[in-house]
Amino acid sequence: MMFMKKWPSLLLAVRGACLLMIVLASRSAAAQAEPMPVWTFGGFGTAGLVQSSERQADYSANVINPGEAGYTDRWSASVDSRVGAQLGVAITPRWSAVLQVISERNLQNSYRPVVEWANINYQATPELNLRLGRIALPIYLAGDYRKAGYALPWVRPPVEVYGSLPVANSDGIDASYRWQAGAANNLTQVFYGHTSVQTDDSGKRARARQLMGLSNTTTYGAFTIRASALTAELTVDLARPLFDAFRQFGPQGTLIAERYDADHKRVGIANIGVSYDNGVWFVQAEGSRMNARSFLGDKSSMYASGGYRLGDWTPYATYGRVVANVPIHSDGLDASRLPAQAGASAAYLNAQLNGLLGRIAVQHSVSSGVRWDFLPDYALKLQYDRLRPTGGSSGTLINVQPGFRSGRPVHVVSFALDFVF
Amino acid sequence: MMSKTIVGVLLALACSQPLQALGSDMVVIVSARNPNDTMHAGQVADIFLGQSGRFPDGSLASAIDQPIGAPQRDAFYLKVTAKSPALVKAYWTKMIFTGRGQPPREVRDSVAVRKLVADNPGLIGYIEHDALDASVKAVLVVR
Repeated sequence: MMFMKKWPSLLLAVRGACLLMIVLASRSAAAQAEPMPVWTFGGFGTAGLVQSSERQADYSANVINPGEAGYTDRWSASVDSRVGAQLGVAITPRWSAVLQVISERNLQNSYRPVVEWANINYQATPELNLRLGRIALPIYLAGDYRKAGYALPWVRPPVEVYGSLPVANSDGIDASYRWQAGAANNLTQVFYGHTSVQTDDSGKRARARQLMGLSNTTTYGAFTIRASALTAELTVDLARPLFDAFRQFGPQGTLIAERYDADHKRVGIANIGVSYDNGVWFVQAEGSRMNARSFLGDKSSMYASGGYRLGDWTPYATYGRVVANVPIHSDGLDASRLPAQAGASAAYLNAQLNGLLGRIAVQHSVSSGVRWDFLPDYALKLQYDRLRPTGGSSGTLINVQPGFRSGRPVHVVSFALDFVF
Repeated sequence: MMSKTIVGVLLALACSQPLQALGSDMVVIVSARNPNDTMHAGQVADIFLGQSGRFPDGSLASAIDQPIGAPQRDAFYLKVTAKSPALVKAYWTKMIFTGRGQPPREVRDSVAVRKLVADNPGLIGYIEHDALDASVKAVLVVR
């Protein structure tokens, strides 16, 4: 019952998708050359274990799937562990549907499975594809499959870049068109939708509305180049009480609230990524900017990574960096112009605000690791990350404690067993 | 060019077993009724990797694969797409878990590929040269 109460939209989405699959399947014409419908089932998963040397904050790959390595636990399985299953059905040569469900740690401290994708697919022509439902966001080179660890060379996508966009899907429509330019294959995709994440137990949410974007992927021989951009109107409830308190302080408080509150703020992300993979070695680099026009900051990030395949072993190394394009400190309210009691409240609010701004990631990291494809469908990875949050920022760390000091290097060791089925 | 040769040699070394097991050249085949007479490797690769759904003349194309582990399959992907079996696997993992498609339909062996392709001008497959007959035609010789 608790489940029903909390997740009505989720249940409806699952029921809707299943119902639609069944209805469409039963209506499919029998006069196909290949027997239709064709069902496919598959999945992926990661069993991960992470240790972080920083005991005053937790290392995490993603803020909405919080890891607990460092402060909460010395060894944490929650950073990378997840399991996903994907059911697909081709109903006719033109109509198909896909449902992907993933279980990973969420902000409610549970591993309750969520519907990652549930969409209906219409192949209008071999070049033009339309989708309706919950769809992967085609931002970043590995954006659409970032949770399928087996498909990645690393334990996880570089946190400096991928951490800027924690959600990986949206509810809406998209259209993608394939076209050729000489020997280059292009896939151009446009999308429109909205998405929402519950951020605590009391029902506070982060909502992205009017989410729209464009993505173009070019493959040319061993090269893949993707350029993508996204914009959305973002509202995050979590810090609302703080900014409501600022608004009590007249014009100077209102000014601060309007600048930093994520209340119907237009957020933008632009990204370009290039990879070269000739089968023996690969290099890959991405550059990205995210401007949230709020306490979530305006950040530029990049990484460069390379690896070499020696039989079943693939050693790799990565450099990643994220910088803030806005100050991550605010003078806040001028307490000296307020009566003593109000001054104390103002100082408290200022400290809270600067606590939030310190979460805007400023960090660089070097990583090295090795992937071992010891069995078909299985890969074992060992990775060492040395990251350094700087300039008063806690970087990509979460659950930051008062004893945390920016500027100290953090050593992270990760084991991951990735599999597909 | 130079680096391509080195890559080719390394890949060939990595996968020398299937090549030795294969007695003759491979041919990419379409139905004798298919109007396309020749294709180049890039066009064939695009269809097998789900990057294109059409023959060069614009008609619809679907690929037919040989089973995982078949020497014909390993040799075909190595020479036409420069991908080892592990890379083909990784490629389809990405495509499947991107929601971008499913790998080609697989059939038992070269005879089954030839039969299926012969009957349907919309299909494309690959078999060893020795398995050719008049029901199909070779649009590309894979060496």
